[in-house]
Amino acid sequence: MTQCGTISRFSSDVVFVVIHMKAAIVTESLTKRYGARTAVDQLSLSVGHGEIFGLLGPNGAGKTTTIAMLLGLVTPSAGRAIVLGHEVGRGPSPALRHVGAMIEAPALYPYLSGYDNLRVLARAGGIAEARIATVLQMVGMADRARDKASAYSQGMRQRLAIAAALLPTPELIILDEPTNGLDPAGTVEIRDLIRELAADGRTILMCSHLLHEVEQLCGRVAILKEGRLIAQGTVDDLLCRDSRIRLRVAGDQERAILLLRALPWVRGVVAEGDLLLIDAPVTRVAEINAYLARNEVAVTEIGARERSLESFFLEVTSGR
Amino acid sequence: MVADLRNLISAEWLKLSRRPLGWILLGVFLGLMLLYLATWALIVMLHTSSLNGGRARFAVLSPAQITEIQRQISFPGIFGAVLGQVNSTGGICAIILAAGFLGSDYNWGTLRVLLTRAPHRGAYLLAKLITLLLGLMAAILLALLLGTLLALVCSSTLSLPLHLRPRDLLALPVGILRSLYVILPYVIITLSSAAFGRSALAGVGGGMIFLALDVSAGSLNTIGSINPLVRLLVNLLLQPNINTLVVLNSQLFGLDQSVLLSSLDLALLPSPFQATLVIAAYCVCFYWGAYRLLLRRDVMGAH
Repeated sequence: MTQCGTISRFSSDVVFVVIHMKAAIVTESLTKRYGARTAVDQLSLSVGHGEIFGLLGPNGAGKTTTIAMLLGLVTPSAGRAIVLGHEVGRGPSPALRHVGAMIEAPALYPYLSGYDNLRVLARAGGIAEARIATVLQMVGMADRARDKASAYSQGMRQRLAIAAALLPTPELIILDEPTNGLDPAGTVEIRDLIRELAADGRTILMCSHLLHEVEQLCGRVAILKEGRLIAQGTVDDLLCRDSRIRLRVAGDQERAILLLRALPWVRGVVAEGDLLLIDAPVTRVAEINAYLARNEVAVTEIGARERSLESFFLEVTSGR
Repeated sequence: MVADLRNLISAEWLKLSRRPLGWILLGVFLGLMLLYLATWALIVMLHTSSLNGGRARFAVLSPAQITEIQRQISFPGIFGAVLGQVNSTGGICAIILAAGFLGSDYNWGTLRVLLTRAPHRGAYLLAKLITLLLGLMAAILLALLLGTLLALVCSSTLSLPLHLRPRDLLALPVGILRSLYVILPYVIITLSSAAFGRSALAGVGGGMIFLALDVSAGSLNTIGSINPLVRLLVNLLLQPNINTLVVLNSQLFGLDQSVLLSSLDLALLPSPFQATLVIAAYCVCFYWGAYRLLLRRDVMGAH
């Protein structure tokens, strides 16, 4: 079991092989170097079937390069990537037929209509054209599908790119900034769509700068910084949601700290101004309150510490 | 692999047939071809005094040249004249079309979308080339149709003979394929350049620079008479070999281009067999270059 906020890594080939049989994506020491610059540095991560996995990191962290390696667009300098049980190399991988992807900005043929853009991809992939109407409906673009792509707004281009990713009825969907440019209603629609797809058993790997969105959607996340994996785990684990209590007392704060440290299940107490942060199971809140009251320490505020993915992200990526 | 290729050609054809650039280039090519043929018709009119009621005659050209021009605007020479245009202005249009066709996939970032659909990159390149050749063939057929109409008009207005034998029609497929073969190395070097520079601009630049260098170097064939070694080296350049096939195409339809252009004298040019081999060698080299570039290099976002 991973510890709160720590990095989990694979240590041996045996573990790697066992995991990749059950995972939709596994990378082992995946590395990409461009001359002296290392864009992705020994990245080892695993994405399970049917999960929504968030790949986070500041600009230039190596997220897009990682995705491009998973899709066979970029050749790794070292390490390997296994997608849906097949190793992805420079040549075509059979697994990629079951992958839908949207990388970076939506890429469309401006002189074609939205419908014809999808027709090109359907023909190229040997997909029945009847599927086009279905995916257009899924992303809410059926009404504007006959308009030229050059006339589309950013949000419409985004929707069409998602439709393109869904065209091959993929088992694995890779989405880079899926709600970029969408209005609030569109954002909610696409989030709901992502949830529906995951509920349907599809695996989703998504990159997003909207951390609250990732927090809402993703079960697990990995955070990259300068090409390196600096944190990986479930959102709850990373945010230590079940093990941090905040407390404010009316009287002697020092005495309260001493009293709390005496409890066997309290792993630590830190003062942040007039607030005490207790490293203890959130389920013990009532017990702490009663204990301090018995010892004549008046509690003015107590509860689970609210910590957002955003604050955690900033902490680990910028050292705040 | 075959099914993949068929799917890709179908997708590429959809893109090509809807692309405004293709239609614009077709319009420009047909317009220039008509202008060229109309100029010949005008010259014949001036020469025969049918335009100005016999007051003046066009005396700059020799009678042999006038006869050759008359052949170019009547049957079956019109086919040779049209195919000659395909291999001159048509080649330039083909370079621009090919550069846009591959280069735009880099420019718009659509290349990565197509390649994530898992086709082999080699199949993608081959599909591009085949689709381009199909498009060029369609354009040639359209040009021949237009030429036929013009020849019919010229025959009636200029009282030119209307000799169209079955063997002329049977020669058309050979002529069309030969014209395509002549364009092929320029199309492939353009694809290579677009893949190298990852843009349409690089494709146009590479194709045009090669064309300019090749045409300039081709003029060296006049020094081929110095000695056999020089002749051998000069004949390894693309242009003299291209000229051989262009002249053969003209002769196929009863034309003699050397009457109008002395550099197109078959006696000074490489043999048809050598021309076919040399052009094939250039095509293979250029295609191999494009294939390796596409296969080995990473594909990232739009440029």
